[in-house]
Amino acid sequence: MAGEYEQFLIHESRLLDERRFRDWMALFTEDGSYWVPATIGQRSPYGQTSLFYDDLELMRTRIDRLEHPLIHVQTPPSNTVHLIGSVTTEPGVPATDPESGLPASDVLVLSSAITAEYRLDRTRTFIARQRHWLRRVDGALRIVRKRVDLVNCEGAFEAIAVPV
Amino acid sequence: MPDGSLNDRGIASLIEPGRVHRRVYTDPAVFELEMQRLFGRAWLFVGHATQVPNPGDFITTDLGRQPVLMTRHHDGSVRVVLNRCTHRGIKLVAERQGNRQRLICLYHGWTFDPDGTLLRVPVDEGCAPGFKLCDFNLAKAPRVGVYRGFVFASLSPAGIAFDDWIAPMKQNIDDIVDRAPGGEIALDAGVHRYLVRANWKMQAENAVDSYHVPFSHASTVNQKGVQFSRREGDNEGAKVVDGQRTAPQWKQRRSYSVGHGHCWTSNTELKENERSSAVYDEYRRTLEAAVGKERSDWILTPRMHNSLLYPNVSFMGLNMHIRVIKPIAVDLTEVNIYPVRLLGAPEAMNERNTRLLNVTHAAASFVQSDDLEAFARAQAGLQSLQTDWVDISRGLGREEAIDPPGALRQMATDELVVRGQFRAWLDYMSEA
Repeated sequence: MAGEYEQFLIHESRLLDERRFRDWMALFTEDGSYWVPATIGQRSPYGQTSLFYDDLELMRTRIDRLEHPLIHVQTPPSNTVHLIGSVTTEPGVPATDPESGLPASDVLVLSSAITAEYRLDRTRTFIARQRHWLRRVDGALRIVRKRVDLVNCEGAFEAIAVPV
Repeated sequence: MPDGSLNDRGIASLIEPGRVHRRVYTDPAVFELEMQRLFGRAWLFVGHATQVPNPGDFITTDLGRQPVLMTRHHDGSVRVVLNRCTHRGIKLVAERQGNRQRLICLYHGWTFDPDGTLLRVPVDEGCAPGFKLCDFNLAKAPRVGVYRGFVFASLSPAGIAFDDWIAPMKQNIDDIVDRAPGGEIALDAGVHRYLVRANWKMQAENAVDSYHVPFSHASTVNQKGVQFSRREGDNEGAKVVDGQRTAPQWKQRRSYSVGHGHCWTSNTELKENERSSAVYDEYRRTLEAAVGKERSDWILTPRMHNSLLYPNVSFMGLNMHIRVIKPIAVDLTEVNIYPVRLLGAPEAMNERNTRLLNVTHAAASFVQSDDLEAFARAQAGLQSLQTDWVDISRGLGREEAIDPPGALRQMATDELVVRGQFRAWLDYMSEA
């Protein structure tokens, strides 16, 4: 089973590398969210800044913009490569646990990700610990929450245009 | 023509009524002089008192490039001291924030109170004859001023008095703070930090630039020319573009220049009567209960979009935040964005504001990221030696005098506010 989850994560990161943002968004459940905290060990996306905290509506607005011909910060676009590793699983969060603040899910998949991004003669690297809360819907895995803890999330960043 | 030297005459030759020389953005020698004469003299935003609520609390920051600590002393007062051990120059505190009742230098253990008083030095029998602890207290910011919890400091003992400097901009600070049902705000909801590969003035100018929005931020505008909703309770944002042109509504914005480089832009009319959501309505009721309906209506009617307290901080009313500009090098700047938490407001309202700020002003935001691209490309374009001058002449000679005397107003798509900043820049940068 761990193999299936690893394949799913590799597939997900490949959609980002191929800039298939709508297909990427389609992996999320309707109540799904994508969270990149701005502090190490951040407990909640509410009431504190985050680099990203998108529900599906914000994700749609973000992707509309990524597809807009006049998005200057992606002219020219970034070229990225994700490397996903160290994939392990833990049990998910049962729907009967509203106190945990975590989304109901079947499984929690932990992984590490290294992403290289090249644009305009500069290459930078994002290194992150990832957590995917996954739910099986009609036989297919969907993302209920993706949390990406960048190793340098408390640092100052140049513009980040594409999901890391 | 500029003669290349940086005496008063040389500096003055870089600024003309409707244009500035490229060197003000690109010359490392000009930047060094700015660190001494502008950031070394001007009133600079340090932090907000709510960042150090308890005795022993501290934050670290830089004024210009000088490392400082803002602390809460044992007696409850807020202090601004240089973050530099008076012994061998070690930066005393490395963390961005924390709590320490005593500041102990990691190198030789010299120990200071939060107000900078030197309490003890280890092996005191080794002190030179005549050594007195009180001669080695931490250096203080010579002048500190506070308005509604916002702490400012000047690293020069002389210069314009704080009250005179802050007076024209008090209403701009009130505009945000008064939105708190408790009458106070807190800067305790984190920070967005971004790096700009450009001169710091690009960010100062951009904060009050209404000309760029339809073009720089085209990707945030839908096919009706309307920006995405940026406030809780709105269904959509401002009308920015009409067909291929800047929308008439956008052109109704006005900018104000009130001396000392201070300036602001008015807001674009949004559909205030239609603004409603469960969270916003609850907040509105809370504010009405605190200050009455009439005053609440007045407070919630947007008047100011972005206000710059020259040179290092702006206050934004639309997506409420405090923006701090930190010059690092002539072509490198850090910008810090602090969400404003309205004390006494329902937490859900504060959470919505903070959340919307992620998509407008994080490094990964929809809005700010295109600005960062513009700044970096400006810095690159200004490397051209074939054209020395940067044009800031829009609206020159069409300024409208308003109260108080010296204050000016014009269309926000003009460049009054940039010229106002450079007038102040020249004052600071002159030797005397």
